[in-house]
Amino acid sequence: MKKFKKIVASVIDSQTMYPSVLAVVLAIAAIVAQSSLTRGNKNQLTELLIMMSISVAWNLIGGFGGQFSLGHSIFVGIGGYATAILLTYFGWPLLATVSISALISAALGVLIAFPLLRLRGPYLAVGSLGMTLAMYGWMINWDFTKASSSYQIPIEFSLSIDDLYSYVVFFVLIAVLASLFMVRSPMGLRMIALREDEAGAASLGVHRVRTLLPFWAVSGLVTGMAGAFYALQQGTLTVDAAFNLKFSLDAAITSVIGGLGTVAGPILGAIVVYYVRDFAADLANWALVIEAAVVVLVVRFFPRGIMGFLYKLRSLIESWAHSDDEK
Amino acid sequence: MGNLSADVIVQGILLGGLYATAALGLSLVFGVMKLINLAHGQFLVLGAYLTSLLVSAIGGDPFLSAIPIAILMAAIAYPMQRFIFSPVMSSGEESPITATFGIGIAIQTLLLIFFSSNPRSIGAPYATSQLNIFGLHVRLTLLIATLIGVATVLALTFVIKKTQFGRQVQAASFDPAAAGLVGINVKHTYASVMAISAASASIGGVLIALSFAIAPPEGTNWLLRAFTVIVIGGLGSLSGTLYGGFIVGLVETVGAEFIGPQYRDLVVFGVLVLILVIKPNGLFAKRVGK
Repeated sequence: MKKFKKIVASVIDSQTMYPSVLAVVLAIAAIVAQSSLTRGNKNQLTELLIMMSISVAWNLIGGFGGQFSLGHSIFVGIGGYATAILLTYFGWPLLATVSISALISAALGVLIAFPLLRLRGPYLAVGSLGMTLAMYGWMINWDFTKASSSYQIPIEFSLSIDDLYSYVVFFVLIAVLASLFMVRSPMGLRMIALREDEAGAASLGVHRVRTLLPFWAVSGLVTGMAGAFYALQQGTLTVDAAFNLKFSLDAAITSVIGGLGTVAGPILGAIVVYYVRDFAADLANWALVIEAAVVVLVVRFFPRGIMGFLYKLRSLIESWAHSDDEK
Repeated sequence: MGNLSADVIVQGILLGGLYATAALGLSLVFGVMKLINLAHGQFLVLGAYLTSLLVSAIGGDPFLSAIPIAILMAAIAYPMQRFIFSPVMSSGEESPITATFGIGIAIQTLLLIFFSSNPRSIGAPYATSQLNIFGLHVRLTLLIATLIGVATVLALTFVIKKTQFGRQVQAASFDPAAAGLVGINVKHTYASVMAISAASASIGGVLIALSFAIAPPEGTNWLLRAFTVIVIGGLGSLSGTLYGGFIVGLVETVGAEFIGPQYRDLVVFGVLVLILVIKPNGLFAKRVGK
């Protein structure tokens, strides 16, 4: 009981309470609003939420851990293909299959983290990029994944867009809460300490690999599950689409635009990037030019992203509000 | 299949020279500024496209036409570094990487809009001719590409090691703050390095377009080849770039011969990952602190 009391107290005192209440409220709002959304809306929102969950998962190690991974497309591809293959061969219940796919992806996260954690900074980016491409080179030639032709999700498992939307809202909520609590936990603080000063943290007894492995596992888990939902939404998978480097790059870009190493950053970044794309979609190829220009401008003028801008705004308002105090 | 003839080896080495040229600018920028330039592949493609435009407009030899285009590319890259990349370099390594990625996408898409995604090659009277040296079949363009590649690496190494400008670059790379204190204009130096990198990239792009063909979406593929080269050669080492190029070229052609050409990418990037895991700082990396 005493321990329980302590936990409750720490939740209420900590910085985790307001963000998590906000996240839960937003998720409930998203579910309640469901009835007034059109099919097209829900499809779009599902796409956005899947992208958001990958950004959140990426930011966990890319932002808070300072490890610029370009390997997250592997998790999306593995999660998606595991779901398609398991459904085809075993036909287990859908949610069980999605969970198992996510676990496979988490195990893979640990597996690739071992070699990758030997690398630092730009080497890690390049190493994970190499892994993505080697994986793509393997999958595109493997008959089991039906190589270059497409892989169909069995039709009896196709989800209605209503169900898919609700699942994905719930999934993103869990992912955001997991990320929030993990980075505010002692383990998360150890990871941030490693990012800021590896030698200093190590001298205080922080073990690099042991600290970082759980984050790679969770990041792999969430991204793999996002891949599974991506597969369910698409209905068919191709190696080109599912192992596309785009997923890694999108996750990195949305996190940088939103604000690296902040919980809300990847969420805001995903929303901004998604709607910039959507807004510019009619302009065909020029859409990409506009997106690129937005990316460059945000990075140039707000290097800490949207969150950095908001923090700056808050400190400006604070100093303005207190400016009369000294007199 | 699986016939390791001298032809295959020679082909691999020549391909390696081409790769080294394509990777040189990437290596220089990383070595001096610790910046990963994700737009490098698009610099290659842009240089090749502009040169092919010039060749088809006024005719003339592609190698001669490559020179004004290299200067033009330098002029494009200088302000990019000065006004976009350099100012964000103080806020961690993610912001500049993302900025270069944005520029790369912009270049690629603009090329797509103006030239469509069709592959483009630069025609030269000798583009397909083969030489027969001691019974070995050698494509003339690949041979020229390799020679130019080796010459470019040597020239750049000389500039960095022996000239006044090169010493400024080394100082700015080693300790930007101290270099600024002794009167080196670090911003100008960095921007000049990016300009040189873009110029050498455009020459690399011309060599690629002469030997194969090049299309806007292929920029990323060439970027990754170039990455593999500089990682194997040791990030930031100019002479390592040359060795890295030869190793990647050999691994790729020999691997394609033994395992099958469709596994080219798997072989190259598999080797990349393997080398990184065994020697995290690359094969020819210098020890930090020397």
